[in-house]
Amino acid sequence: MLAVRNLAVRYGPIQAVRDLTLEVRPGEIVALIGANGAGKTSAVKAIAGLLPHTGTVSLGGQPLPRRAEYALRAGLALVPEGRGILGQMTVAENLRMGGYARRDRAGLEAAMEEQMRRFPILEQRRDKLAGLLSGGEQQMLAIGRALLSQPRLLVLDEPSLGLAPIMAARIFALVEELRATGVAILLVEQKARQVLKIADRAYVLETGTLRASGTASELAARGLLADAFLGTVTQAPPPA
Amino acid sequence: MLLQQLVNGLTLGAVYTLVALGFSLVMGVLGVLNLAVAELFMLGGYVGLSLILADYPVAVAIAGAALVTAVLGVVVEKVAYQPLRNAPPIAPLLSTLGFSVIFQTAATNIWGSDPLLMPPDLLDARYRVGSVSVGQAQLLVMATAVVLVAALALLMRHTRFGYGLRAIAENRDVARLLGVPAPLVTSGAFALSGALAGVAGVQIGLHYSAITPYVGVEVGLKAIAVMVVGGTTNIWGVLLAGPLLGVLEVMTVALGGAAFRDMTVYGLMILTLLVRPQGLLGRAGGAQRV
Repeated sequence: MLAVRNLAVRYGPIQAVRDLTLEVRPGEIVALIGANGAGKTSAVKAIAGLLPHTGTVSLGGQPLPRRAEYALRAGLALVPEGRGILGQMTVAENLRMGGYARRDRAGLEAAMEEQMRRFPILEQRRDKLAGLLSGGEQQMLAIGRALLSQPRLLVLDEPSLGLAPIMAARIFALVEELRATGVAILLVEQKARQVLKIADRAYVLETGTLRASGTASELAARGLLADAFLGTVTQAPPPA
Repeated sequence: MLLQQLVNGLTLGAVYTLVALGFSLVMGVLGVLNLAVAELFMLGGYVGLSLILADYPVAVAIAGAALVTAVLGVVVEKVAYQPLRNAPPIAPLLSTLGFSVIFQTAATNIWGSDPLLMPPDLLDARYRVGSVSVGQAQLLVMATAVVLVAALALLMRHTRFGYGLRAIAENRDVARLLGVPAPLVTSGAFALSGALAGVAGVQIGLHYSAITPYVGVEVGLKAIAVMVVGGTTNIWGVLLAGPLLGVLEVMTVALGGAAFRDMTVYGLMILTLLVRPQGLLGRAGGAQRV
């Protein structure tokens, strides 16, 4: 599904991500975890076409366009860190924006209704400005909006950021439900332990470099997570 | 007397509104003032009046002016904005100032610095409603503005272009993530901005029965005042502020004399910046919307 090879991102003299190789297979939830500043957001922004980068990114065996508007059309939807809600538009208008690239107007209307059913709170708030929603409601709107583009791969950047624990748990439960719809998910998070409960596999980033990868149980067993968040992981990355 | 001045003020306000919308559209998308809009307004007036003098119908003159200034608007975007998008905001501001000077100089070279006069018998009928006399040209100016504003509102609310433009105005990266082709929509905003200014130029030519190469500076600055009073990128605020400043200007002349005309308009702009910087319809602390 998603294959990233030797991805590198630079901000002038600063190397934010170096030599990142990762893979997400169909129907998988894959976590990209690491401490604040590890380069997770830079990596997914580059994959989604928002940042210039070197290396290769392909989706379904085809090179992914390097511009975000075309990467979406190729099947990748990114819910950015901070949710990316268009606060001056209504909830319904935000959802409509999710189908911006779609040509089937009738299909979009039906899909919007489906998302309203999935998130009843959005139906209740459909004519309210999206900027007035709570953090959890905004995250539901952001995910519902992303699904309207009919992605093959959904990338969620810090979906639990700023949410109360109970709401964060709901969002993680929702991510698990989404797996059943067939969409592959790349989940970027700092809440590593919670994420590993729902992820099939995970990659650990530290200061822009991939330090470890494997299944959740493997990572936990090797005791790498604490190291990745609190200090340097010295162990060489095992094969994915 | 007051009612008559009200009609005259609304006519002027209709022109200010369209030029201010031209400024506001680009401001909303890029957050930078496109000073060339003022001279696109002037060029629109010249193109329109030239077509009228060549015996084309007024509707063709308006459409022709809109087309020419829309294309020039895109030229401004490609040359003065796109290469400087990541530069400090002062850079594109200055490059559009350069375009303003070029456009004004070009107009002076092509049409001369004397006013270009409209045929005296064109749209010279007047209609009397009670004590108020409304000219045919005034009616056309106001009707054109109303139709264009309504069309713009529909465009923004009910078309893919409008949705894309509003999304870019709020968050360019998010708009791109949602599939909005940002470069194309940005060019469209510049074209639309130029077209609105161009139509307003024909309107001012019809209203004053003449156009000069220097009208862009005067009306352009007033339109910036309208944009500030309305709320920078808030088109609904501009719709309110345009007629308001037009009426204020005309009433000031009628009641206080021409010497005070600009003082009230720009005084209101400064007062707005001091007391309500978000503009009449802007929300304090909130992002402006297109």
